[in-house]
Amino acid sequence: MIQILVRYCTLFVLTLLVLTIISFSLAYLFPGDTLENLTGLVPQNEIQRAALEKQFKLDQSYVIQFIYYVGNLLTGDWGYSFTSGLPLREEVGIAMPATIELATYAMLMALFIGIPLGYYAGIRCYSTSDHLINSTSITTYSFPVFWFALLLILIFSLQLDVAPLSGRISLIYDIEPVTGFILFDVLLSDIENKSLAFKDALSHLALPTFAIGAITTASMIRITRRSVIDVKHRPYIAAALSRGLSSWQIFFRHILRNALLPILPLMAIQITTLITNAMIVETLFSWPGIGNWLIQAIYQRDYPALRIGMMAVSTVVITLTILVDLFNRMIDPSREKYERATV
Amino acid sequence: MSHGLVKRLSLCICTALLVASCAKQNKQAFYNTGIIYCSESNPVTFNPQLDTSSTTSDATSHQLYDRLLDFDPNSGRIVPSLASSWLVSDDGLTYAFQLRKDVWFHTTNYFKPTRNFNADDVIFSINRWRLRSHPYHYVSGGRYPYFESIGLAQNIASVERVNGYRVEITLKRRDSSFLSNLATDFAVILSEEYAAQLAEAGTPSKIDELPVGTGPFKFNSYRKDHFIKYLRHDNYWRTQALEEDDNSDSNLTSELQSLSQQQKLEAPLVDQLIFDITPRSSLRLAKLMTGECDATAFPAQTELEVIRTEDDLTLAEKPGLNIGFWAFNTQRPPFDNPDVRRALAAAIDKNTLLEAVYFDSATRAKTLLPAASWAFQNDADDTAYNPVLARKLLADAGVAPGFSMTIWAMPVERAYNPNATKMAELIQRYLRDVGVEATIVSYDWTTFRRHLQEGLHDSVLIGWSADNGDPDNFYRPLLSCGAIPSGTNRAMWCNDDYDKLLNQALQTDDIEERTAIYRQVNRLLYERLPLVPIAHAYRYQAYRNELEGMTINPFGGVRFGGVEKTL
Amino acid sequence: MPQFSLYEEEFHPSPWQRTWASFKASHISMLGLIMLALFVVCALFAPLITPYDAVEQNIDGLLIPPSWLANGSISHLFGTDALGRDLFTRIIYGCRTTLGSAFITVVLALLVGVSLGTLAGMLRGVRSSVVNHLLDALMAIPTLLIAIIIVAILGTGLVNSMWAITLALIPQFVHHTRSFVRAEMKKDYIVASTLDGASKWQLFVHSILPNMTEMLVVQGTLALSIAVIDISALGFLNLGAQSPLPELGVILADGLDVAYLAPWNVAVPGMTIFFIVLSINIVGDGLRSSLRKRVSH
Repeated sequence: MIQILVRYCTLFVLTLLVLTIISFSLAYLFPGDTLENLTGLVPQNEIQRAALEKQFKLDQSYVIQFIYYVGNLLTGDWGYSFTSGLPLREEVGIAMPATIELATYAMLMALFIGIPLGYYAGIRCYSTSDHLINSTSITTYSFPVFWFALLLILIFSLQLDVAPLSGRISLIYDIEPVTGFILFDVLLSDIENKSLAFKDALSHLALPTFAIGAITTASMIRITRRSVIDVKHRPYIAAALSRGLSSWQIFFRHILRNALLPILPLMAIQITTLITNAMIVETLFSWPGIGNWLIQAIYQRDYPALRIGMMAVSTVVITLTILVDLFNRMIDPSREKYERATV
Repeated sequence: MSHGLVKRLSLCICTALLVASCAKQNKQAFYNTGIIYCSESNPVTFNPQLDTSSTTSDATSHQLYDRLLDFDPNSGRIVPSLASSWLVSDDGLTYAFQLRKDVWFHTTNYFKPTRNFNADDVIFSINRWRLRSHPYHYVSGGRYPYFESIGLAQNIASVERVNGYRVEITLKRRDSSFLSNLATDFAVILSEEYAAQLAEAGTPSKIDELPVGTGPFKFNSYRKDHFIKYLRHDNYWRTQALEEDDNSDSNLTSELQSLSQQQKLEAPLVDQLIFDITPRSSLRLAKLMTGECDATAFPAQTELEVIRTEDDLTLAEKPGLNIGFWAFNTQRPPFDNPDVRRALAAAIDKNTLLEAVYFDSATRAKTLLPAASWAFQNDADDTAYNPVLARKLLADAGVAPGFSMTIWAMPVERAYNPNATKMAELIQRYLRDVGVEATIVSYDWTTFRRHLQEGLHDSVLIGWSADNGDPDNFYRPLLSCGAIPSGTNRAMWCNDDYDKLLNQALQTDDIEERTAIYRQVNRLLYERLPLVPIAHAYRYQAYRNELEGMTINPFGGVRFGGVEKTL
Repeated sequence: MPQFSLYEEEFHPSPWQRTWASFKASHISMLGLIMLALFVVCALFAPLITPYDAVEQNIDGLLIPPSWLANGSISHLFGTDALGRDLFTRIIYGCRTTLGSAFITVVLALLVGVSLGTLAGMLRGVRSSVVNHLLDALMAIPTLLIAIIIVAILGTGLVNSMWAITLALIPQFVHHTRSFVRAEMKKDYIVASTLDGASKWQLFVHSILPNMTEMLVVQGTLALSIAVIDISALGFLNLGAQSPLPELGVILADGLDVAYLAPWNVAVPGMTIFFIVLSINIVGDGLRSSLRKRVSH
């Protein structure tokens, strides 16, 4: 148990170290001035430049530079954005929760809709309803997310006018970011029209969540269905049948939990897809999240922002992935380390 | 089902409906307290003295600030603003301005004014861009592109305080466009008291980041790429003047009445003004349609038809004071040769560009001046599409077939050029026909303009929106020598005859005489052709029908004073 | 030689034939295959099919509606775009660009992935552990992020976006190859070969690789659908292929500017991407279930 924990901790730290090295070397790889890429500060004259170079140890060996860089990252001094001139930590601090919020709701949607539907289709496999569910899911799964989001905007915002198409909440509300999650922030704020604001935030969430959620749900259905079918063909199910258990008993005693096990590691992969989709959808719905922020940064060639954004996103994704993996190992230490379910 | 139950049910439903409709009314009432404007880009600064882009002046000039004088949006006449009246000496060199009393600067969480607006503020605001020695001159870069491009700083001999509410400005040479220049979006009045406070705190650059002015709205917050929020300025002088008018007897003279009309136009009528920064024009239109925006900047030419067919949207249009052109970098060979420039001009078909890029919402430009200007010359010479001539001229000038050049296409939409990239692609094709290989270059707007100023381009598709109706406002910033360092002369063209003619035109107030001089200027430009004038576009403003009081301001940025939402 | 065999038992279908037979039995899979074949034919013979030039602008025919609308014309099947280019032509060339570059990307990723995966699968101990963990970490970095960084270093362009997607696809191949090789290495026939004195290289070429092809085909189709979506997504976000190159995502993004005036400029490219991905997914799905059926028999 402790061994596993230690193993995962080292893995986590090592991965972060690799990421930090990549992020540090990006300052050298990006076009333009290394000092500016590293700090986001543009020196006005040579004296200033020399002072900054000294401060960031650029006059010393790469190793010392890197150690200083890690120190800065840990103390929260992440440099400044070229375009806005604001500290990057502040900017990431606003953008990151917005993405996590969106992704969380989409994941919840996938879990609460995808898994039950997957079970249903798996149990009733090769029936009409299974075919229906399966073909719907393969169709949804084939939608390029940006096109799907555009369709949603076209139908629900422009034609039916039931949901707004941009932002997290109407700009007319002045909500202080406390948690970074808009729904909680609205509840925590002390504005007059709280219920109006809450409804407004919900309606803003609806379309982007659905756009990301639908695709994740579709792959969730497929994964679950496959897993259930696999379990159904195991010998112990046949044994249970021969003992005379009813199909409900078999489902609850054997299939439910055993089918869940191979799904978990696949969820880890889903996180990556989910975040990628969230990043694309954000740009279409002008959602002020990290994806939108990064894409704006690349349009403006804001190298310090890209450097930190890459670091932040991959840290979040890898943390989540490793946590899911760890969780998976905890509940099922017996399984082969690299075994994963198929779709 | 018993009758009682039915009754109770229907009662319940009725109550629910009533509550719902009430909620809806509440919601509407709340949403009516703020106007959301979808703007196209981030302002470069919150001080329009520092930048000539229309994005900056849209976001600041008429929202946060006032000027000494204003243009009447309908007649183009100069009308009083912070200066209630003015006198010009007989020799045309001394201007005396009487300032309004009881004008208050914004009270915000970063500044509380202790005194109202007076002569010190005017002197501070003008001296900041006029005097290199002024402590605030080099704050935020020390470039004042508009004033530099028209050379106003050099022409002002002194700005004197006569008393607390009277200022006298003396010029070195007569300048018939002086008052117009003071009424432009860039000649805003800043708070001297705020500047002094900031200087004391050691953070002078905040004056351009956390702005304080006398305008109808005050700054609340700004997030780059997302929004700018303004709050209503409760002590706005035009609002106060309005209230006084209401209290006083109604036997006002007609002139005063029209003045109060003008003031009403500018007073803030909503609690909040929000700029929702949305660079993509299709998204701006979508937001307008769903009601997430009440008005939008620069509807794309392709979308005008759609806006016209939507019942709940209004599209206002006015011929604009602008010019879209293709400028050659005349400091780079072979573009320093007028024949090469003429050849390239003859290689393109302007009418096609008008059709494909402007969708016929523009008129063909022969000179720099649009028809709306009083100096417009209808019979001016114009280049014509003639690829044969183009090839011949190029060959004569020693430009070999397969010569390659760059066309810089600006990355933003402007009324004068709604889609520079598309225009560049079309020109690219025309140039291929005459044996010139063009590559299209584009950067983000800030970098683009910086590189342009450094003169890295061969040619560029860009344009100019005038800040006032004076012809000098076209000719001088676009092509005079003084406009090269200030970065508005994209052709990097410097010609002594041209500058002489422009100066000569300012020596007189006689319109006939000035028009005659500008005809000579047009002739000179046709011969030298530092740039190819392409189009004068109409200006459009799209907004929802709920907005009342929206007008197009032909002489500068959008204004939200006097606009309200009703439904 | 007899014309036909009297005894059916004498016919032993090869594994591939059996898979094909079971694949053929599913109508949906066949439909998907036909659709995919159609797209591939379009991509291969684009110059023969298309009536116009894909980048040539035509000022006289801006935004002509598609032929099925009242004021459309049959000379432009899908209408024209804002620069007067024939949309049908652009879509066909778009299939070529998108599908072609996706295919190249997948093949590249497959080659690199299989080599690395085999290495990782055959290695033991610390080296293997390090490779595996690093790969797991790499796998977690979103494609879009890799693409953004590559664009920042090398600039935009179709080729650069292909590099990014290749990089993002490699870990999946490595992962599956590694698991497969590990599982295979424990099997008896490999032990037998080892006892026969086969070197590791011989083991790989003669024993493991032939058994791996099916898994690779299935993974390849999966990767192909991802690659198509990613390439068009990057094109759409203006991070990949650049206008005027006909790439489906770029065509879609171009069309967005005239979405209200000419909705077909958004609808047609979007539909095309969707159908390409759908057909690949259907084929992949059909292939997988056929393989599964064969193995389970």
